[in-house]
Amino acid sequence: MTRPATRTATRTATRTHCPYCSLQCGMTLQPRGRTLEVQPWAEFPVNEGGLCRKGWTAGGLRGHRERLTSPLLRDRATGALREASWDEALDLLAGRLRALRAEHGPDAVAVFGGGGLTNEKAYQLGKLARVALGTSQIDYNGRWCMSSAASAGNRALGVDRGLPFPLADVEGTEVLVLVGSNLVETMPPAARHLDRLRENGGRVVVIDPRRTPTADRADLVLQPVPGTDLVLALGLLHLLDAAGAVDTAYVETRTTGWAAVKAAAAGWWPERVERVSGVPAAQLRELADLLAGAEKAMVLTARGAEQHAQGTATVLAWIDVALALGLPGRPHSGWGCLTGQGNGQGGREHGQKADQLPGYRMIDDPAARAHVAGVWGVEPDSLPGPGRSAYELLEALGTEDGAKALLVFGSNIAVSAPRTGHVVPRLEALDLLVVADLVMSETAALADVVLPVTQWAEETGTMTNLEGRVVLRERAVEPPAGVRDELALIADLAARVGSPVPFSTEAAEVFAELGRASSGGRADYAGIDHDRIRREEGVFWPCPSPEHPGTPRLFTERFAHADGLARFVTVEHAGPAEPVDDAYPLHLTTGRVLAQYQSGAQTRRIAELPDDGPFVELHPMLADRIGAHHGEPVVVTTRRGELKATARVVDTIRPDTVFVPFHWVGANRLTHDALDPASRMPEFKVCACAVRT
Amino acid sequence: MSAGERTVVVGAGMAATRLVEALVARDTGPVTLVGEERHAPYNRILLSAVLEGTHSRAAIGLGLPDGVDARLGTRVAEVDRSERELVLVDGERIGYDRLVLATGSIPSLPPVRGLVGLDGTLHPSVHTLRSLDDCDRLDAAVPHARRAVVVGGGLLGLQVARALSIRGLDVEVVEGGEHLMRGQVGPRAGSVLARDLTRLGSAVYTGARLIKLTEAGLVLDNGAVLADVDLVVLAAGARPAAALARRAGLAVRRGVLVDDTLTTSDPAIHAIGDCAEHAGRTHGTVGPAWEQAEVLASRIAGADPTYDGSRFVARLRATGLDVAVLGDRDAEGEVVEVTNPVVGSHRRLMVREGRIVAATLVGDLSRIGLITQHFDRGTVLGPHEPAALLTPDRPGAPVVLPDTAEVCACAGVTAGAVRACASFDEARATTRATTGCGGCSAAVRALLSTRTSTGPTLERTHP
Repeated sequence: MTRPATRTATRTATRTHCPYCSLQCGMTLQPRGRTLEVQPWAEFPVNEGGLCRKGWTAGGLRGHRERLTSPLLRDRATGALREASWDEALDLLAGRLRALRAEHGPDAVAVFGGGGLTNEKAYQLGKLARVALGTSQIDYNGRWCMSSAASAGNRALGVDRGLPFPLADVEGTEVLVLVGSNLVETMPPAARHLDRLRENGGRVVVIDPRRTPTADRADLVLQPVPGTDLVLALGLLHLLDAAGAVDTAYVETRTTGWAAVKAAAAGWWPERVERVSGVPAAQLRELADLLAGAEKAMVLTARGAEQHAQGTATVLAWIDVALALGLPGRPHSGWGCLTGQGNGQGGREHGQKADQLPGYRMIDDPAARAHVAGVWGVEPDSLPGPGRSAYELLEALGTEDGAKALLVFGSNIAVSAPRTGHVVPRLEALDLLVVADLVMSETAALADVVLPVTQWAEETGTMTNLEGRVVLRERAVEPPAGVRDELALIADLAARVGSPVPFSTEAAEVFAELGRASSGGRADYAGIDHDRIRREEGVFWPCPSPEHPGTPRLFTERFAHADGLARFVTVEHAGPAEPVDDAYPLHLTTGRVLAQYQSGAQTRRIAELPDDGPFVELHPMLADRIGAHHGEPVVVTTRRGELKATARVVDTIRPDTVFVPFHWVGANRLTHDALDPASRMPEFKVCACAVRT
Repeated sequence: MSAGERTVVVGAGMAATRLVEALVARDTGPVTLVGEERHAPYNRILLSAVLEGTHSRAAIGLGLPDGVDARLGTRVAEVDRSERELVLVDGERIGYDRLVLATGSIPSLPPVRGLVGLDGTLHPSVHTLRSLDDCDRLDAAVPHARRAVVVGGGLLGLQVARALSIRGLDVEVVEGGEHLMRGQVGPRAGSVLARDLTRLGSAVYTGARLIKLTEAGLVLDNGAVLADVDLVVLAAGARPAAALARRAGLAVRRGVLVDDTLTTSDPAIHAIGDCAEHAGRTHGTVGPAWEQAEVLASRIAGADPTYDGSRFVARLRATGLDVAVLGDRDAEGEVVEVTNPVVGSHRRLMVREGRIVAATLVGDLSRIGLITQHFDRGTVLGPHEPAALLTPDRPGAPVVLPDTAEVCACAGVTAGAVRACASFDEARATTRATTGCGGCSAAVRALLSTRTSTGPTLERTHP
């Protein structure tokens, strides 16, 4: 067995990728004494050496005093956590898991993964659940990230890959429409491609209830009421059809379903859109004119459009716009999703999702079960069926037919779940909560067993970025004593709970197995290996064989449905699950800030990153109405909870909307748990709230 | 209400189409629709845009869901209420369990001599714009015309005037009232509108009525004669099409009377849209019609919502004229108003107990999205807010960045750290400013270019 980066890596620089978002910026790590210095990797095409401050300071958890270095067990008598050996912890854990399974059946144990885990870990986690534990109850926090875009992409185009082209392709388009993306703050190095697009004479359009730093670099900004992006798309379809701008040749040869969409859009004239969305009709017309006049255009959706109970429908409506204009499959054109988490893409392809097996195979498909069971060396019938989606899995914890034990990897549920006031008691109702993490996250603090695991610089594995490019994360330093990587932990645990087959602990070996399991599936990795990724600066899936060049651009000839055609899907606007009313008259929306990442478990502990805690953005008109002042506390309430935080009075937000970032405990006490019927995405982006001083 | 009962809808306009869609979606039973026009249902409010040329004629179809028994191009002769049957002009009888009248409205013809010939048809140069056939007829006449007179200065009249003007005709608007859009707005808004229209090249006569169509031209009641007029478009309002209901013996005042359940004086017959009169009001816009259609569809499907009136929002759809009217003209409250005739804008909010109860916006619709939201949701505003809503955002004041101010958010670099550098390249290399998203490049260059002075002045976009 080869270890690509062993002891020599502790002295020389190692090329790897940032531990945070889906850009997976290339970076070089140089150990210096006890610290780890981040340096540019100028050649990597996504970020060209640029990083944001999260990336530059990513080494800050190396040697951090809050780093966990020993398993911890909760003492039943005192309720306190105490240190334990790995053997003691895993023995106890395996024993309790076996007992719970014997008493309640295999679904008594649930697994919750994360979109930050490597492909290898995600794959092994799915296998741990389905083979070693035999449970159907596995899902992951990616369900709360881009799942609405995933279900829309599958339905309309037959496949779910965030971007169907390399990110740098945006530089060559004429009009780029960003629907609910603040990429300048959430993935800053991506902004270089935006700027070059504009230098080339292209236009950028931003649709967001807040005039964000991304909007500051746009040519046209639409600020809709949260939860009404779908209506804007219908209004655009209406105007494009009215202007004769629909690409009828493309619609006829490459799609089906246009007639029904056209009829639905006929009822959404701009003034009606204006009344629902709060976007002046003139602005919608301006956008329609831009798109109608462009040969090449791109529509990119992100969390702002997707994290809704009608997220799938919203994305479908925007895909309809792209299809009507004849964009997908054409150069520098199309629809894509700007995925959020580091491995949000790969994490959903290889078995962490409740209804999927590796290679984006569906778990209720007999052929898929037979193939994957063959790779795993088990009987197809032994594999469980589909389980519950993330929020539904959590909501059932500790109930009669819900899981009694939960294993959490790479997720900080207590901060990132919607309606945490409802979810945290479910975690507390468990017989056994196990959390594997680097630090004592808010979720780990609730656990009965805490297992210390490696961070990104201490391990090797692949990530699949927002472009569908599989990249290699390389080990640059040895992990601290007492810490194990998840592959070793999963293999050990699998053996102790009596897995019928062994689990590899070597990333390259696991990846090769993943390749075989994905072979022939929609996300086919069979032709990719670690060495090839090193040589080629990433390989785009599908890549079915070592000779295959990979697929940077999808849909150039056909879509991924059996007939090769894309589907127009007719959707209706239902509006937010919780409309505003007299008691809760304002829209609450949530999002991210530049210096923090996700639940903040890592970034809040890095001293160089500014952390002033949560805040409430509100417009001066609203501030004046309620007597709030910039820098002073305000209280936001919803039907589910309350948050006191500092007011930031800014004229960049709609006056009928307030914004709270979700990196800290609090924002998600407020959010709503209505779920999208297709993707099971919770409605993070809009609910009704009240604000007082 | 039992599933499977037959609903028959008279009318194939926007209210009827919406209702039928909602009934089919709820699977309430067989649905028959009877429409006088031969065209498949279309979006009537876009006719002036089709005339103007901004909306493709082929793109206004609304479509009917599958499974609807649509009888288009025929008329209902009478309603036989005792048998619960409709009698069509060809004698066919269609039985119903529920009948919905969505017969819309018909243009009011002003008392003008010569308008209608002895045979009862309109004078050849006279047009209305109510149906797609009207639109086609007018559209066909435009290329042969040079001068047009629009009778009526309301929403439709102004839309038609703009459409014809954009099509290259000389257009004059004759309005009997003292100002334009007198049914919806006050005199100040009306005079701003008249100035706008004049600026756009159309003549406006207010307080003048057309009384006679002669060989010499159009004679107004102030004695003026408009000669060489090729087209006359009547846009002097509309009245509910209630004749069928009246003949059937239903209670009718201006429109067909309905209660909060949208039921007429016959419990098996409902009315929605322009033909219906609810709580003393008739509407002529699509918003209330669709709200009524949704309520009635839910009721027929077995739910129990009621219709308690609509919030009125009217938007003029015409290139070059920006008008929005919200709420009741008779509403009472405190008025906050800004008129700037110099730039042609007029904005007026009427507020009662903090809530916007009516509003008029002419010439400046930049805040329309927000004002409509506040109006529709009944948001209780603060005392300064109505005025703030009518005041444009002030540009940010220039500020001198202190050394501690963060310039580059990506790398966390302060103005002081940049000032300590000798050049842009040095700033890039030592602080990593500008290497992340690149958004601070201009600010960094500005800081460095004024390094030796007391400090740079930067325009802040967000104060």
